Amino acid sequence: MGYVWEFGVVFNQLDLLLAGLLNTLKITGGALLFGIPLGLLAAILRLSTYKWLRVSVGVLIEFFRTTPPIVQLFWFFFALPMLSGIEMDPFRASLVTFSIQSSAFFAEVFRGGIVSIERGQWEAARAIGMNYLESMRRVILPQAVKRMIPAFLERVIELMKTTTLVATVSYADLLYQANNIAQSTYRPLEVFTVAAGLYFIVLFPTSLLVKRIERQLAKTGEGTVH
Amino acid sequence: MEHVWDFQTVFASWSLLSQGLFNTLKLGLLTLITGMFFGFFVGLGRYSRSSWVNFPAGVFVEVFRNTPALVQIMWFYFAFPIISPFDIDAFAAAALGLGLNTTAFCAEIFRGGIQSIHRGQWEAGKALGMTYREQVWRIILPQAVVRMIPAFMNRVVELMKMTSLASVIAFGELMHQAKTISTYHFNPIESYTVVALLFFLVISPFAFLVYHLENRFRK
Amino acid sequence: MSLEILSCRNLKKQFVENQVLQGIDLQINKGESLAIIGASGSGKSTLLRCLNFLEIPSSGEVRLRGKLIGSRQNGQVVYQERDLIPIRAKIGMVFQHFNLFPHMTVLQNVMEGPRTVLKLPKSEYESRAISYLEKVSIPEKRNAYPSELSGGQQQRVAIARALAMEPEIMLFDEATSALDPELVGEVLDVILKLMEEGLTCVLVTHELGFAYSAAQRVLFMHNGVVLEEGSAYDVLVEPQQPRTIEFLRGHSRFQLPASKNSQ
Ligand SMILES: Nc1ncnc2c1ncn2[C@@H]1O[C@H](COP(=O)(O)OP(=O)(O)O)[C@@H](O)[C@H]1O
Ligand SMILES: [Mg+2]
Repeated sequence: MGYVWEFGVVFNQLDLLLAGLLNTLKITGGALLFGIPLGLLAAILRLSTYKWLRVSVGVLIEFFRTTPPIVQLFWFFFALPMLSGIEMDPFRASLVTFSIQSSAFFAEVFRGGIVSIERGQWEAARAIGMNYLESMRRVILPQAVKRMIPAFLERVIELMKTTTLVATVSYADLLYQANNIAQSTYRPLEVFTVAAGLYFIVLFPTSLLVKRIERQLAKTGEGTVH
Repeated sequence: MEHVWDFQTVFASWSLLSQGLFNTLKLGLLTLITGMFFGFFVGLGRYSRSSWVNFPAGVFVEVFRNTPALVQIMWFYFAFPIISPFDIDAFAAAALGLGLNTTAFCAEIFRGGIQSIHRGQWEAGKALGMTYREQVWRIILPQAVVRMIPAFMNRVVELMKMTSLASVIAFGELMHQAKTISTYHFNPIESYTVVALLFFLVISPFAFLVYHLENRFRK
Repeated sequence: MSLEILSCRNLKKQFVENQVLQGIDLQINKGESLAIIGASGSGKSTLLRCLNFLEIPSSGEVRLRGKLIGSRQNGQVVYQERDLIPIRAKIGMVFQHFNLFPHMTVLQNVMEGPRTVLKLPKSEYESRAISYLEKVSIPEKRNAYPSELSGGQQQRVAIARALAMEPEIMLFDEATSALDPELVGEVLDVILKLMEEGLTCVLVTHELGFAYSAAQRVLFMHNGVVLEEGSAYDVLVEPQQPRTIEFLRGHSRFQLPASKNSQ
């Protein structure tokens, strides 16, 4: 059938695609900025000795982990403003959704890291008179974080892939730009292929990094958590 | 601002919802089965000593793991028909995107599971005079499968969530039905809440299982 | 005059249905060295851990320098974590498996308590840590990580870490049990030196020879009770309780001096 590929029209609009990629990175970075501390907090609450706290935070985490992010995004974009009167633009709705959504996943990464530290470390910290927060900050987390790095980076990759959803609420990320260009140039094959390539260029090196760190940790005899 | 809850209109649209739920399960189940089936061979292929086999397998896996599923679905819906010899409707595009995506992830699970088995197990099989296929089926897989169960359950969770992406290309799964209902009755709060809960009900048992299996394996 | 440092009365500890400590009375005086012996599972570790509140006692009372720890409510003593923290800072503990912080160097391990808990200024916690590393004869390893040390060296660092808090009393829970035989000596030497300097020490140990030569008092535990207690000679050489005799017979490698009675 001999389709004639024509990448020229795409490369003419590469600046638009790159602007989209920048917005993709912006939303990913923003979600990390809020999602990580929120995730740490959620993990600590889920490990609380108070059963009601542990259970309710656990249900909340699982809810955000097991419902599709597109449903969450639509809920925050369309439903929340009607319920609360909070103004939502596409960027704000996306930031809120992905901060909360990724925090639920980060919570589990943190929890896995924390519980992987031997009980003796808690005991040694307490035996020299540290309180809970000091033990956590000085003894447990520094060790846990190292084991968490691969799982953590994997979550970052997943997060960046998930942010493509912001295109559905018209935030001008890479996918949104690609879709626009595809429609204006009638060259969807080239445009979507290049867009996929751009995602790949960012994500693949990160994946390789994950594998390398995992191997290195395995070599020093340290486990990693997932 | 006082919101007047209107779940009535959502439940009145239950035939739309049940149709959506059916389509969600259809898409999820189909892609899960095909993904696991082909993933097994791709996973073994990555383990192959011949670079004619392991290199393409590796490229396939990395491409589908390192690009967004939504881009894959949209590629199959908008781009692929241009070069495809057969017609692609929304369901076919979603099934292709999610099926290949799941194949790639399952291949990694198979490969990881097989790799986690000590080399001595292969050698013991070999020493008994087993063929490669016998070693895989009788020695390696029975041990590896147990370790792979949590990862597969996790895949089920992720895949079921990903089926909602098909709404972007207007395949009538749950999320798409919610959009339809909310536009028609102007009740986004209720429609999206109900659909979120439906997804939660379908998916959370698997997540719960993962949680328990992982705790069990950690010991 | 003997000054009481740490004591407990009718101390009990229960894990679900398992009554591990069945009412322990104990008093440890300043400068005293006490060895606790007994079969595995008799509750020795649990007793030590109750004394510095790594485990919360089910009932009974613990006093530090005569002062009741916790507060009494309807006849029961209740404990608040924030009241226990300063207590633990005054009681040193050495674990069987060292529990050094693997992400910190030797020096950082020893500085950690004075720095984070006592909040000393840098110049002070640093010089303090160095002097305690010297005390356990390991100053040259200060920049090594725990994983680069032998078990004996690790345990000496753990001792220095506890000493750097300048505790009123040191608790050793089988400090040499995880060590290769040839490394036991260097750790026992350090402990002996501390005892001779007059540091108050309680040690759970299976090194009966060491208990005999170093401890002033020995206590034999069985099924969560103190069955026999007295001078090292009385308990180890002329035990009265059949259980004690049986236990000591099981440790035949321990060369006891001949009993006066049998001479
Ligand atoms: N955290 C715990 N939970 C339940 N049972 C425990 C716990 N710690 C100790 N035990 C039980 O208490 C008993 C005494 O243990 P321990 O004090 O460690 O004995 P020892 O140090 O003399 O060997 C054992 O039967 C042990 O199983
Ligand atoms: Mg013990």
